[in-house]
Amino acid sequence: MKPKRFGPSLYGTNRFGMASSSPLHVAVIGTGIVGASAAHFLAAAGARVTLLDASGPAAGATGASDGAVSVASKRPGPMMDLARHARAFYVRNEREGLFRGLFHRRSTFLIARTAIEADLVAQHGGDLAAAGERVVEIDRATLLKRIPGLGASVCAALEIPDDGHALGYEITERLLQRSRVSVRRNAPVSEIVMRAGRACGVAVRNEFLPADAVLVAAGIGSAPLLGLGEILLPRKGQMAVTDRATAGGPAIDGHLMAASYLAAKRGIVRDNSHIGLVIDPLMTGQFLIGGSREDHRGDHTTDAVTIAAILREALDLYPPLAGRRVLRSFAGVRTASRDGLPIVGLHPHRTGVVIATGFEGDGICLGPFMGASAARLLLGERPEADLSALSPQRFARVEAHV
Amino acid sequence: MCEAPILVVGGGPAGASAAASLAEAGLPVLLIEQRDQLGGAIHRLPAPGNASHIWRPARHRRNWARLTARLQAAAGRIETHTQTVFLGVDGQDRFLLDDRSKGLVFTRRLRAAIIAVGAVETIRPFSGWELPGVMTAGGAQVLLKETGRPLEGPILIAGSGPLLPAIAAQLAKAGNPPVAVLERGRPWNAPGALARLALSWAPMSEAATYAATLARSRVPYRCGATVTQAEPDGDGLKVGIRIGEVQEFLHVRHLLIHDGIEPNRTGIPFPEPDADVPVLLAGDGREALGADAAILDGHRAAMQLLTRLGRANRAAASDERGLQRARDFQANLARALHSEPVVPAPETVICRCEGRIYADLATLAEDASAREIRLMGRFGLGACQGRFCGPMIAALRGQPLPVTTPPRWPLRPVSVAALARLTTDETE
Repeated sequence: MKPKRFGPSLYGTNRFGMASSSPLHVAVIGTGIVGASAAHFLAAAGARVTLLDASGPAAGATGASDGAVSVASKRPGPMMDLARHARAFYVRNEREGLFRGLFHRRSTFLIARTAIEADLVAQHGGDLAAAGERVVEIDRATLLKRIPGLGASVCAALEIPDDGHALGYEITERLLQRSRVSVRRNAPVSEIVMRAGRACGVAVRNEFLPADAVLVAAGIGSAPLLGLGEILLPRKGQMAVTDRATAGGPAIDGHLMAASYLAAKRGIVRDNSHIGLVIDPLMTGQFLIGGSREDHRGDHTTDAVTIAAILREALDLYPPLAGRRVLRSFAGVRTASRDGLPIVGLHPHRTGVVIATGFEGDGICLGPFMGASAARLLLGERPEADLSALSPQRFARVEAHV
Repeated sequence: MCEAPILVVGGGPAGASAAASLAEAGLPVLLIEQRDQLGGAIHRLPAPGNASHIWRPARHRRNWARLTARLQAAAGRIETHTQTVFLGVDGQDRFLLDDRSKGLVFTRRLRAAIIAVGAVETIRPFSGWELPGVMTAGGAQVLLKETGRPLEGPILIAGSGPLLPAIAAQLAKAGNPPVAVLERGRPWNAPGALARLALSWAPMSEAATYAATLARSRVPYRCGATVTQAEPDGDGLKVGIRIGEVQEFLHVRHLLIHDGIEPNRTGIPFPEPDADVPVLLAGDGREALGADAAILDGHRAAMQLLTRLGRANRAAASDERGLQRARDFQANLARALHSEPVVPAPETVICRCEGRIYADLATLAEDASAREIRLMGRFGLGACQGRFCGPMIAALRGQPLPVTTPPRWPLRPVSVAALARLTTDETE
């Protein structure tokens, strides 16, 4: 059964009983990349937006992630397809001005260092091609010309030339600037207030903030608000940032993604000590190197044993990093769902509540598009892509059978 | 198994005093120092091969000779690592130590830690402070002590505090007196504080020596005088100065700036005297009271730790009295030299690592989080990780910087190769 659409009725029966002349008022919980995007597109459509965050803009995973806008890294299936929509959304908004100067096209190189890894990379390349993605086979000699200094163990690679790069906190800042929606910082929402089965506002500490509809885009903070403690889990990722290898522009001509990362994304390896290696050349000339995937870890600490393990992997793949210095280490907490897919859509039984969370490590890629899609759902419009695979309804159904 | 040592970070007066006091009480000590010799900024020795004739007050020389003798007498219980940099404490409570002579990062099982990493210099930013030719007075003093030679060409010293006449006198004695010393404060406007300062014998006799040296070398010492801007000028600098209402320009080769010191706390773990592995702070890194007080404070921290470990109970009242005297002196000095903060011009550089200017800082929301200041403002993201620009930003925003939790490591840039070679003595 498809979830019932509440959208068209929002204007007609808002809590003031006013006609459609009164603008829709949405409370957006969470000022990460998804919430900021939703707020921007809601405001652009004429809605009134109250934008809240328990801390501040980009305080969660948005501000503690690499900047891969990558289809190459996605699990085959709906995620790969949606990532293609989301990346196209970046391309369009960079062209039209919203993301100008913040999104950069660059290749992703999927890199194998053993025969087994080469099989995995080939299989993943096949899945990408089947999804319509351009995939270029690249031999070691050509690859060495593109990325001089690559390690001796690198034996096979694929280039995904249409991927890109954007920093989550820069995108968030741009969306906030353009929309002119002001953020209420240090405003933790304790409850979505319901009246007669539909949302009528949110409670921040002891204050009631009225709204016609509520978007929950609060990352792992969404769990207590929605009772999703069994469905959402924190997955910590530790990363390191180096000093600049070049004065301006990326130090190497693409994003290096080891097969170990694909293995984790495809669910082949599930181990808190597993390193899914990526080497992300930042626009500043620095490298961002990650990362770990530590389930049920919601803290932001980093430990030397894990960072050292990441660096050893990185040195094996790209030895010139030995000449760099680590400036800082940090950890981001990804919000993963139990079945590995994000949760985006109408709340199964709370009318007026839309959910957009559970993006795991794909929030920078998917975030702006998903925020815009959530805005459309709130406005009673159809999203640009089929989001049925992400519907919260799938968990409601499971719950009902238990 | 060997007894876990007590880590002492920093081989300046506070760290040396703490290490000696602990070792004298029979405890094993792991003493680390980032430079190649102990001494800290105050007792910095000439680099090997340099004969230094840098004059320093006899009191400081005596103090360091005593500390050195105590360290030597207890050398059997002190494992000293020079060229070893404290990188902070990681999320699993490891103290990370970067041995730059060996090119690897190591950790040890510890019984406790005393962190004595000294102070950082602060400055008040003005347009051009980031130019080549401008350096901090403390940095210049360290250079002088290490090389034994003064900077060449005309030197102007400006800012506030007792370091200004000290470095000026040392430069004069080394053969290149500065063209002038500009003190921002107007001590004559605070006669009460000045009168109380005069009662402190040791620092005032030191000050008198500096004054005499400056008078002999005819170095003008102007109060109520500030640098307003600096710009490149040939192979030197054109420096705008204001004395009262008068604006003037001076052409110099070097401009040394300094506006006091603050405890170096960026990324330093919070003191936890009652934790399983107790952490204490000592010296200027705990409270910037100067070199004499640092020796007392190192001893005080060692005694506090021994009490905590059940090894002694000798809370030394004499330490506390001496620290209070230093605290009173610093408070009177601050009162005497107080001056109102000045808002810098919008294009003034604030973060030199990332080239961020005051206008960037001013656009941040008043209640911006630590992450916004770092990521969106890009303040404190560079090689110094906010150690130098942090106090400046806090002063300009009129509020302490929000703390990054958990504290970040590495505190200093560390070689990728060295960190990849991490060695621990954990049995896992």
